[in-house]
Formats: sequence, structure tokens, C-alpha cells
Amino acid sequence: MDKQPKTLIIIPAYNEGDNLLQVIENIQQCCPQWDYLVVNDGSTDHTEDLCARHNICAVHLPINLGIGGAVQTGYRYAFKNHYDIAVQIDGDGQHDVAFLGDMLRPLIRQEADIIIGSRFISKEGFQSSPLRRAGIRFLSRLIQLCTGIRIYDVTSGFRAVNQKFIRLYAEQYPTDYPEPEAIIAAVMHRGRIKEVPVIMRQRESGSSSIHGFNSAYYMIKVSLSILICRITFGIRR
Amino acid sequence: MLSTKLTITLGAALFFYFIIILLFLKHRAIELKYTLLWIFSGIIMAIMIFFPYTFRAFIHLLGITSTMNGLFVFFIGVLIMICMSLTSIVSKQTNKLRTLTQELAILEKRIRELENKERENRPLD
Repeated sequence: MDKQPKTLIIIPAYNEGDNLLQVIENIQQCCPQWDYLVVNDGSTDHTEDLCARHNICAVHLPINLGIGGAVQTGYRYAFKNHYDIAVQIDGDGQHDVAFLGDMLRPLIRQEADIIIGSRFISKEGFQSSPLRRAGIRFLSRLIQLCTGIRIYDVTSGFRAVNQKFIRLYAEQYPTDYPEPEAIIAAVMHRGRIKEVPVIMRQRESGSSSIHGFNSAYYMIKVSLSILICRITFGIRR
Repeated sequence: MLSTKLTITLGAALFFYFIIILLFLKHRAIELKYTLLWIFSGIIMAIMIFFPYTFRAFIHLLGITSTMNGLFVFFIGVLIMICMSLTSIVSKQTNKLRTLTQELAILEKRIRELENKERENRPLD
């Protein structure tokens, strides 16, 4: 890729009306040369009005598909519009696009297919609660056991992928809590994954979708799906 | 061996079972391909009710001594199979629905942009 790659930043947003403007401002300040797309996942707050008022580039899903479905919409859009690179960031303001330069470098040099922005390499910034870190460590070890590849921040939603994986994710993307499953699907399709250190912020407002009873469901569901994913892809690798 | 009374009761139940399937089909409330499993199970059930000796040897082979218990085990097996096929149908439809929703949203964005462009290009009256 000699010329500047055509890059799309995908921002899935469900009731993130309070954070969204700040995320867009961050993009417009740090990387105005890249396109962005807000995927409004059937929000019930003022997200749609906000997008119309501020002329924000957005697609509005008529029904709530969950984070996986919303991110996949972004990849589908990127695939249809022939983007070279797609970046996904959370709509809650946790991810700083200032790190995108570092993240995209290995992709542009074709040293990797998928880049994951990891908060556990330099161990700076928001590190999440000890219980969540333990859960992430467990999933990381489980993925290592299944694939032989160690990825530290398996739940990070700050990712960049090249054209090959834009196409793959546009066709099939896991639902519910997709981040760890997307990693294993990528490894099974012989994707080269690289982690790049980033500093994450604590979310500006609202609350995470995983808490209380959901955490137990999350751990069981994700562990099971990692194992099933590994078994079903077994022949390919 | 099933008693005559029980055979009549089960036979009547089976008759209503087929009537309901036919009604569903007549009103196009259910697709023919989804009813195939129901019809197939109905035929096996009919054989088991009216000709219980046919399956006796097979039932004994499984370690079930009573024909009635054999009928129950078979019915439960059929129900599980139907539930699994329903889950598969629902999952496939969920995938289709997700794709449709995503395509719809992307198309809606395109129409919105085209409308805006047209509005901008329209000469002022």
C-alpha cells in the first residue's frame, strides 16, 4: 500500500448520546483524514437526533442487534465501500484515537492482519477492576490453550483489521460478547494478530453492559464459545 | 400389548393430531417442509399404536419391557428432535434477520445522503 489506505472508524453506539460528541470531536481533531461511521444500535435515547443535528455520519439500525451485530454493520459498510482498513472503537469514549497511528503502522506495513489496542502491555491508564482483570487473564489463557497464541487484552474493543478481515467479519461476526470469539475466529482463518500498547480512559458516563449476574453468564458463555469455536474450526488449522 | 380402550384413545388423539397438521397446512400457517417431521412422527406413532407387535422386538432390544413405556420413550425422542429442529430454524432466521436489518440500515443511510444531495442541488425558487 503506497498511497494512504482508505480507513473507516466504526463506532457502535447504544444509548451513548452523552459520550458520542466527545468521541467524534476526538476523531476530528486527531485524524480528520479518515472516515468514521457511527452505528446507532437501535438506541432509545437522543442518539439519532444528535447525529442529525451535528451532521454525524451514522447508520441507524431499526432494531437493537447487540454489540456484535452493530460492529458487523460497520464491517459490512466498510466492505461495500471498499475500505482498506477498518478500525472499531467503543462509543463510550474509552478509546483514544491518538493511538491509531501506532496501531495502523503494522497493518500498513503488512506485518499483521489484526491489531488489538491493549491496555495490559504498558499497564498505563484505566486497567479495569481486579475481578475483571482476573476474568480477562482466564480468557486469555484459554485462547492460548486453544490456539497457542497469547493475547493479553482479549476483551479490548479497540481493534483495526485489514481488507481480508473486513470481508470475513462482514460475512460472519460473533454476537452477544464478540471480542474473544472474534479473536479465535481470526486465528482460525490464519490471521496474524498483533497487540499494540494503548492507554484507555474510564468510560465518560453510563455503565458497562457486563456486571453482576451478567459477568457469570459472560464467562460461561464466552469460555464455551471459545471451546466450540476451536472444535468447529479444528479441521481448518 | 395395549388395551383396546387405550388403543382407541391414542388413535383418536392421533386423528386430531393429523387434523391439526392438515388445518395448519390448509391455512398456510406452517410450511410443508417443517411439517414433514411432524407427519413422519405421526405415521410411526400410528404404527406403534395399531401394530404394537411390529416394534416389540426392537423395544425389548433397547431393554424396555413394556410397549407403553416404549411408546413414551419414542414420543419423548420425537419431541426432542422437533425442539432441536425448531432451534435450528430460529437460529437461521435470526441470522437472516440480522443481515436484513444491517442492509436496511446501510440502504437507509444511502437514501438519506442522496436526498440531502438532491436538496442541496435543487435550484432556489
